[in-house]
Amino acid sequence: MIKLRRLERRYPLGKEKFFYVLRDINLDIEEGEFVSVMGPSGAGKSTLLHILGMHDSGWAGEYFLAETAVHHLKPKERATLRNEQIGFVFQQYHLLDDLTVYENLDIPLSYRRYSKGERAALVADMLDRFQIVGKKDLYPSQLSGGQQQLVGVARAIIAEPKLLLADEPTGNLHSSQGEEIMELFRKLNDEGMTIVQVTHSEKNASYGKRIIQLRDGWLVRENR
Amino acid sequence: MNDLKFAFRQLRNSPGFSVLAIVTLAIGIGLNTAIFSLINDLFLRGLPFKEPSRVVHLFEGDKSRDLVDIGVSAPRYEHFRDGQTLFDGFAGENFFLFTLTGLGDPVQVFGGRVTSSYFDVLSVRPILGRNFLPQEQEGADVAVVTKNFWQKRLGGDPNVIGRSIALDGTAHTIVGILPNMPATWFGANPIAEVWTTKPFQIPGFTYERMMRGTSFLRVVGRLKPNVTLKQVKAALPSLDQSYRTQYPNKIDSSLVTTAKTLPEDVTENFRAGFITLFAAVTFVLLIACSNVANLLLVRFSGRRREIALRMAIGASRAGIVRLFVFESLLVSVIAGGVGAFVAWRLVPLVPRMASNFLPLEANTASSLSLPVLLFTIGLSILTGLLMGLYPAMQASRADLVDGLKEGGRGTSGSIRQQRFRKILVCAQVALSVTLLAGAALLITSFMRLSQQNLGFRSQHLWTGAITLPTAQYPDTASRQRFVEQLLNALHDVPGIQNATVSGDTPLNGGNQTLYARGDRDLPPLEQRANAPSHDAAPDFFKTWRIPILAGREFNEHDTADSQRVVLISQTGAKKVFPGENPIGKTLLVTSAATPCEIVGIVGDIRSQRIKQEPGMEFYLPWSQDNFPFVNVAVLSPLKTEAVTKLVQSALSKVNPGLAIAIPQSMDAIVAQALGQARLMMILLGLFAGVALLLAAVGIYGAVAYSVAQRTGEIGVRIALGAQAADVLRLILIQGLMPVVIGLGIGITVALALGRLLRTQLYQVSPHNPALLLTTAIVLGLVALSACLFPARRATQVDPIQALRTE
Ligand SMILES: Nc1ncnc2c1ncn2[C@@H]1O[C@H](COP(=O)(O)OP(=O)(O)O)[C@@H](O)[C@H]1O
Ligand SMILES: [Mg+2]
Repeated sequence: MIKLRRLERRYPLGKEKFFYVLRDINLDIEEGEFVSVMGPSGAGKSTLLHILGMHDSGWAGEYFLAETAVHHLKPKERATLRNEQIGFVFQQYHLLDDLTVYENLDIPLSYRRYSKGERAALVADMLDRFQIVGKKDLYPSQLSGGQQQLVGVARAIIAEPKLLLADEPTGNLHSSQGEEIMELFRKLNDEGMTIVQVTHSEKNASYGKRIIQLRDGWLVRENR
Repeated sequence: MNDLKFAFRQLRNSPGFSVLAIVTLAIGIGLNTAIFSLINDLFLRGLPFKEPSRVVHLFEGDKSRDLVDIGVSAPRYEHFRDGQTLFDGFAGENFFLFTLTGLGDPVQVFGGRVTSSYFDVLSVRPILGRNFLPQEQEGADVAVVTKNFWQKRLGGDPNVIGRSIALDGTAHTIVGILPNMPATWFGANPIAEVWTTKPFQIPGFTYERMMRGTSFLRVVGRLKPNVTLKQVKAALPSLDQSYRTQYPNKIDSSLVTTAKTLPEDVTENFRAGFITLFAAVTFVLLIACSNVANLLLVRFSGRRREIALRMAIGASRAGIVRLFVFESLLVSVIAGGVGAFVAWRLVPLVPRMASNFLPLEANTASSLSLPVLLFTIGLSILTGLLMGLYPAMQASRADLVDGLKEGGRGTSGSIRQQRFRKILVCAQVALSVTLLAGAALLITSFMRLSQQNLGFRSQHLWTGAITLPTAQYPDTASRQRFVEQLLNALHDVPGIQNATVSGDTPLNGGNQTLYARGDRDLPPLEQRANAPSHDAAPDFFKTWRIPILAGREFNEHDTADSQRVVLISQTGAKKVFPGENPIGKTLLVTSAATPCEIVGIVGDIRSQRIKQEPGMEFYLPWSQDNFPFVNVAVLSPLKTEAVTKLVQSALSKVNPGLAIAIPQSMDAIVAQALGQARLMMILLGLFAGVALLLAAVGIYGAVAYSVAQRTGEIGVRIALGAQAADVLRLILIQGLMPVVIGLGIGITVALALGRLLRTQLYQVSPHNPALLLTTAIVLGLVALSACLFPARRATQVDPIQALRTE
């Protein structure tokens, strides 16, 4: 599913000097895997996830996603590939305050090629599956943190991605709410979705089958 | 006082905001002050006569004969003077061009022949000497002159009273020096500077013919104390009736008298124009206000920490609002100062551009008077309150501050602000589209007007006027001899291709003259039709390049002793002789019903105004009909001054005691005739341009600010799959929504206000759909580009940065 070769991300630091956030990353993730990325703060975990999610394009090296050479794609082709393949969950949920739950779920569909009918059906399906039908007309500020992240996950997978990326999805939640999200991830993984999550918690990491450790931009160790 | 200091410091600390806000408002306040200053000079300051609104100007008219606001005849003047009881004084004036000799080269000076009461009725006190005495009215050769005449032409001679000047070859004794007269009442081109008595004489008319009822006097009366204009208007019909009964067969028997006060009379022609201009600058100011209001909203809301702090140490909400309004007032008052300065520099330019149609004194309009200053101060304060109050109230809302303290995600304040911003954009668009539509109408109207076929060609045409002294040129034959000699003298001059003479010139003339068909019963005088008539020498039509459509032009065989002949206009031929060939038929002209044979049909010309509808007009040969007013027209490729010299030297060969008045190129006269329309077009176009610019800045500001506020949201949307086009669409739709609503409102308002412009439009309907559509498209495109810049910036939002800052 994912193949990274000599991937590198750096930021300019004054004259001719660079600050390396990721160095020489070589990584293979198979379809259907559930991988947790761990490491201290500032290690480059979010950076790696944003590169995988194609929010960032200022990197060097090779990145293959489902056999496609991302490093050769034009921005527009990358955006299309991303919209087909990837869903993203944020630590701060990032639901849009002025939109209802229903409308928030509809956003990703509005940016992809779905007909009106398909969109309504998919949103209804998702509300049903996450048991939040009763909340569809509420605004994010009227939901608890756990409920908001539930919507966040629903929004990430509504366009049926093959790969789900989650950056500390439970970082702002109580442990019981966090567990609910993790159970959800496990279920999605069982259904065949590839998941890469960033987490600080060993417990959350144990839901996955593989842990990747990052330190100062280096991929230091892999536990399988 | 502390608050003032604080407000000052706030402005100084953000020079970018201060300069932008002050410049924006200064434009609005400056334009308003400039226009108000003109309105003050034209409408409010009034004429420099005592209680000008108690002086009433009488007009005659007859709708059925196309006669509007013409003068009063001598018999009617006397009838009204003796029959009325409402006026303290009653007076008449007959405009006149005198030839002044004996003081260097002969010159033509403008003024009038007046009844002895004239300056008393206007309440003009001489600065030296006295006004005319009743016994001087009919017999004495006396004159009063202006201060300017005295100083320029008589060197300020201290013994001027009793001195003699030669007017039209007759010695006149100066009995008084008057202050310089207002252009408002006497006109500016040429300036009036000398008056004599003997008002009831029309040069070239016998006393008997004049007394048939030719309308030529400008009649004014001063109301008795406690008498109103309404009472005068009520009394006029019975005076008209008694005149009609007493003189059933005068030319003017059936005319109807109307009355206007002097201020009403001198302003009515441009009142609509100034209402339009004032509305336009008000719109500009409102747009400027809304731009600054938006800036203030951003600025005040950005000071939440300060607000919270002030509230924490005990400030009330009212106190905070006051603080902010204070700041807003400071901005508007400084802008008012800058605007007043700009207006003070701008206003003097207007009389220079507009002196030939706006009765403004070049010197009075240049000073900003007390009413203008009060207006500006009042306007500045109003502006400050108008634009500052809502942002201040909005920014000091308690929930906003509380929300901040809790660190929650309360967005209700920002939604309310977004809505306010949208309303501002909507209003700006509505105002500018209205203005733009008005400007578009006036521009189109001006183009139609300036492309109007005048019926003659003005290129390379020079004109000038000569008044013949009646003592030297008492009759038709002597005046014909003069013209023959003059045209002969001009004939051989190199550089002059053609020369001719006429009694009046196109765009400036045409005496209303009675006429009737010779093959029908002759209607009595009071029912006879009238039309503009023109006396023309040979080559008139060739020189003015007016087409001869049938028959022939006048030539040297048309003499005083030959068959009397007449030419009629194309429309006249159709109107008076429908379906017939008028050539060879007889037209009975003037009150004497002189039979003239129609020998030709000529093209229609705009003989009085550009906007005139073509109608019946006729031409008589100079040799058979003429007055002592000679208008010379010369076709020459030379410059105006050069032609003037050539004509002057030819004239001195014929009579060294005569002078040329108002030498001008005909192109200049045409341009002057377009002057008011041109000025209106330029001013409204300018205001609309400023409005469009301010609205564009306003739309840009509102959209840019909303993009800045929504960076996080846009980042999320991009992370969720939005591509550049999606983001662009999102921002454009939200940014353009208030624009579209504003366009709708603006077009509705433009349709409603179109009526205001109707009187100023020529051959354009105020509800022209194509123009409105064009206007809407122009504004839509401007708004689109104003949105496009911030929208493009939105597409370049880096989702990682946006998500991180959240
Ligand atoms: N735009 C940037 N410019 C410079 N340095 C950056 C930028 N973005 C991230 N970094 C740095 O990259 C490092 C890794 O950041 P991040 O991937 O967010 O770490 P993590 O998610 O592992 O805590 C940090 O030291 C951070 O300061
Ligand atoms: Mg991170």
